[in-house]
Amino acid sequence: MSEPMIAIQGLTKRFSTADGRRHLAIDDVNVEVAEGEFVSILGPSGCGKSTLLYMVGGFVAPSSGAITVQGRPVTGPGPDRGPVFQEFALFPWKTVLENVMYGLRQQGVSKAEAEARARALLDMVHLKDFADFYPKELSGGMRQRVAIARTLAYQPQILLMDEPFGALDAHTRTVLQNELLGIWERDRKTVLFVTHGVDEAVFLSDRVVVMTRAPGRIKKVVEIDLPRPRVRAELLVNRRYQEYIVELEQLIEDVHLEAAGA
Amino acid sequence: MKSALRKLGPAASTVLSLGALLVLWEILARLAQIDGFPPATEALVQVPLILGERESLASIGASLWRMFLGGALALCFAVPVGLAMGRNKRIAQALNPVLTAAYPIPKAALMPIIMLWFGVGDLSKVLVIFLGVSLPLIYHSFHGAHAVDEKLLWSAMAMGMKPVARLFKVVLPSALPDVLLGCRVGLAMALIVMISSEMIARQSGAGDLLFNALDMALYGDVYAMIVILAAIGFVLDWVFERVRRRLVHWAESRQDAMVPGGGV
Amino acid sequence: MSASNIFAGERLRGTAASVLPLAVILLAWEAVCRAGLVAPTLLPAPSVVLLRWIALLPDPDFLHHVAQTMIRLLSGFAIALAAGVSIGLLASRGGGGLLEPVIRVLAPIPKIALYPAFVLIFGFDHASKIALVVADAVFPILLATFHGARSVEPKLLWSAWAAGASRRATIFTVVLPSALPSILTGCKIALLISCVTVFLAEMISSTDGLGHLLIRSARSFRIVDMFVPLVTISTIGLLLNAALVAVRNRLLVGHGNHR
Repeated sequence: MSEPMIAIQGLTKRFSTADGRRHLAIDDVNVEVAEGEFVSILGPSGCGKSTLLYMVGGFVAPSSGAITVQGRPVTGPGPDRGPVFQEFALFPWKTVLENVMYGLRQQGVSKAEAEARARALLDMVHLKDFADFYPKELSGGMRQRVAIARTLAYQPQILLMDEPFGALDAHTRTVLQNELLGIWERDRKTVLFVTHGVDEAVFLSDRVVVMTRAPGRIKKVVEIDLPRPRVRAELLVNRRYQEYIVELEQLIEDVHLEAAGA
Repeated sequence: MKSALRKLGPAASTVLSLGALLVLWEILARLAQIDGFPPATEALVQVPLILGERESLASIGASLWRMFLGGALALCFAVPVGLAMGRNKRIAQALNPVLTAAYPIPKAALMPIIMLWFGVGDLSKVLVIFLGVSLPLIYHSFHGAHAVDEKLLWSAMAMGMKPVARLFKVVLPSALPDVLLGCRVGLAMALIVMISSEMIARQSGAGDLLFNALDMALYGDVYAMIVILAAIGFVLDWVFERVRRRLVHWAESRQDAMVPGGGV
Repeated sequence: MSASNIFAGERLRGTAASVLPLAVILLAWEAVCRAGLVAPTLLPAPSVVLLRWIALLPDPDFLHHVAQTMIRLLSGFAIALAAGVSIGLLASRGGGGLLEPVIRVLAPIPKIALYPAFVLIFGFDHASKIALVVADAVFPILLATFHGARSVEPKLLWSAWAAGASRRATIFTVVLPSALPSILTGCKIALLISCVTVFLAEMISSTDGLGHLLIRSARSFRIVDMFVPLVTISTIGLLLNAALVAVRNRLLVGHGNHR
């Protein structure tokens, strides 16, 4: 196999709490993600899975360990890794179109070209008619579509998705999961996807990394060997899909029990 | 440097920056060599002399007493008015335009008119301070009361609490962070109105002392009085902030008060 | 950030209903004066003040005083705005360790007490009054900018950095727009303070301006002429505030109750 897209080695993160004590959030995590692979990090809230993602993004510095992207160590944020946050994090003072154009403009793409590319992306996420709206005028699902388009606009090789559908209602969530899969199956970007939803992780991923809580360690890595393109209705009656769900639910329950027992 | 300052804690860094400002003053004044801008040391030696003089000390004390009276009266008047405005749309609508028109008027500027009515005595000065403190207090009490969670009031009503009791037992405690913010702004305002009205009326008080020194070209005394008034402002604010934090420790730490908050 | 505000901003339904109480007060005041219940040398009827005001409006001498006040007010506010925003941004980005305690010491000082010093240093003309306006107006803007810039949602910054924006670029494309609602609130406070400060400075020592007009009228006990400058500064304050609200609504189209 060629060089991994993302390599995480011995990653550890400690935080100082308010009373000055050191809190171990992530302990010795090792993961490799291949190019074009869709990997989910699954764990209960407070297991440090988002922190792990932020460290790959270069937003948060690790306490020790190493993260390399295409062999180069991560020293800060860069347009090769595009984040999508649960909170959308759209610029409220910019219109939908201006939000999507932002990254291109920052990288010196001409206004006309940035606008053309942004409009094409908005078309792809079915928001063509909302280009001149402000984020506050859109529903949660639409805002997250804008956020995804904004990130796709500057063509990162890796998508870092931090519970992107966590703030959406159940229906919108499934719609967006389907759309995300559609986009991913077309251009096969490398995706690191943080979630606490077992079905979401199984539906989307090639591999699921299950994490423990306080400190966050890798509990188990589960390969999801399901055919693509995946269709939700077919999967629901797929025996192997059901087995993955059961296995992962069981693992998550174990994590909870361990944390409670500790 | 930065982390070193942070480690020192807020008290030490405040003292340190105060020292730095005084040193800056000293250096600038020695470089500028203007009569009207004496170095810090020349002004600071005058401070104990002014405070040691019975007459000026009494004058400053009288100023502070008037300030306290005006502020206390405003507290008794403005907080209930503001709370009532916040909970009752009619009262708010009735008072809104009056307050709006009054807001940009410098309250200390009313001094000449009020002196025509009530003479040059304490009454006029206390009244002006009262007016100056009332507006920000009403404003912030209004905001606090306006933002009270309806459900708290519903539960109070369900328990059979009467309207006036609700105002003092539910609305006031919930609005307390805002009311205290108003008090802090009001405190700053009281001091400003006190000084400026005394500068305008020129009868007695700290503001008068300041301008007398200016008239007599006692530049050291001018700056000493400025230092004294600045110190009063700083100490009052510091003490009040302590009290405020004590009283509303249950509320989330709010954005620092933007001292000062409007119409003098 | 709440845009609603009793003293401006909030769109009151039924303007008539809200102006009515003010009209009632003015009418009652008028009636009291007409009935001769108070001496006209102590309290003039509002109609008399209004008529004098209207009569004075085209008067070049009066307009000269208004202009002097406006020059001091607006230039002081403009300097305070530029200084407050830049120092506030600087303090929020790293410089905070040094600037914060200095600001903490200077902010609660009653600036009006500095006026004699400004007179001594800058003279009796425009400069000392503008300096006082700056000293008074700069802190609300500075503190508002500082708090606004400090409370920028970190994920907005991360999104910008990840999109390839440099640190410097994010100050103008993320930090400043994020802090804008807070900055404008600071401006609103600062603008009112500027009105008040310039008027007081002119009352204390000046040979022109609205504050001086009040003092001049007071010396000769011309009560009607004492009310005119007060009405004028109040009107100026309200008009400037309305202008600021208009600018605010313009600039903050996207902000507001998102999330």
